[in-house]
Amino acid sequence: MSTASLAASGRGAAVRIDRLFLGLALGATAILIALVLLDHQPASAALVLGGFGLGIVFLKAEFSYTASWRRFVTRGDASGLLGGLIVIVICALVVVPVAALSPKYGGAIAPLGPSLVIGAFVFGVGMQLANGCGSGTLYTVGGGSGRMLIALLFFVIGSVFGSLSLPAFLALGGIDPVLASDYFGAWGGLAVTLASIALVASAIIAIARKRGANFVPSRSYVIGGIAIGLLCVAVFFAGGHPWSVTFAYTVWGAKAATALGLDLSHSAFWQWPGPKRALTDSVLSDTSSLTDFGMLFGAMAAAAATKPFAATAWPPVKSLLAAGIGGLLMGWGARLGFGCNIGAFVGGVASGSLHGWIWLLAALPGCLLGIRLRPLFGLSRE
Amino acid sequence: MRTVYIVVVVLGVAAILVDHLSSPSSGRAMSPEDFAGACAPCGAPCPSKK
Repeated sequence: MSTASLAASGRGAAVRIDRLFLGLALGATAILIALVLLDHQPASAALVLGGFGLGIVFLKAEFSYTASWRRFVTRGDASGLLGGLIVIVICALVVVPVAALSPKYGGAIAPLGPSLVIGAFVFGVGMQLANGCGSGTLYTVGGGSGRMLIALLFFVIGSVFGSLSLPAFLALGGIDPVLASDYFGAWGGLAVTLASIALVASAIIAIARKRGANFVPSRSYVIGGIAIGLLCVAVFFAGGHPWSVTFAYTVWGAKAATALGLDLSHSAFWQWPGPKRALTDSVLSDTSSLTDFGMLFGAMAAAAATKPFAATAWPPVKSLLAAGIGGLLMGWGARLGFGCNIGAFVGGVASGSLHGWIWLLAALPGCLLGIRLRPLFGLSRE
Repeated sequence: MRTVYIVVVVLGVAAILVDHLSSPSSGRAMSPEDFAGACAPCGAPCPSKK
């Protein structure tokens, strides 16, 4: 038996440690850290540890962008959406000025155009069908959800297709990134960024009030939001850029496709310097892969430390189908939209980049469509 | 489901090990944004550069 019961609490609840999976999570994390430290890369070890912490916090706080946005779209409940803005405020306080003042650091930027809007919309549909976004997929897979394991597999596949589609969508046109600090300087850019967040928060609260819904974040969302925000700052300092999730999926998929004999190196996307290097170099040289691995194993450790891991049965086939379709859409949409709710929305807004807000505005209608499609797969709209 | 997870974790870590040991390492971990001309987290070029 791989689980062990600890002393029961006064309320009679027992904490059961799943030693097998706790050992697997800690062992895998230790291997990754040892590999990067052997290459004299302490910053890479910090990225793994930062991701590990994010996995724990997301799982423990049950911090879900997907459910929060669904509650806002269906009922006007803005509590989770506002909780998510806490993360962005904390990140912005550091990312906007540091990225503007230090050449060693950069913000999350992206061009504005059809690719961004289409990608974010499709991502919004996918996140409601899969029932998890970029970060949500990671921590629920790490937390023992077999359904989200399917979503992650198709997320990876979809993002490879997205990498092949992106150059054609970029050819439709667009303009260069619009960054607040480029126009107002480091501190003026920060003021404008915080003002934009306050403006959006006010609008969200107004909508919630009009619909008679709650807009006060729960205690776990406030504490979780602060912890995630601080970990985002740590990841920013370790990696030189705001936390991002989905580029790693594209790299994993492309490396797997290459191992299966598919040559992606001639496609336009994989000839750009960054992706080209990511495809040929070690996966542990990619910042987003390092935090993703850490987050998976952090969530696994947190889940296995409290109860038997992955002890539930597989969900119905229709639910798995929704996870697969949602994963595919998210993967494709994340590449066209320059990231997910973390890399594009959180990272973008926290960098003072206009694309973050445009991503949100395009993703919310996608969420609405995805919510309407959920009953087709036996999923509730709530 | 537990068996599936064990297989996925073991194969995943093995794949990371094989990839890491058989691929060049550029020194520090990087993001595609670190390269000149990149305009997005995936390394896409800026529209004005085309």
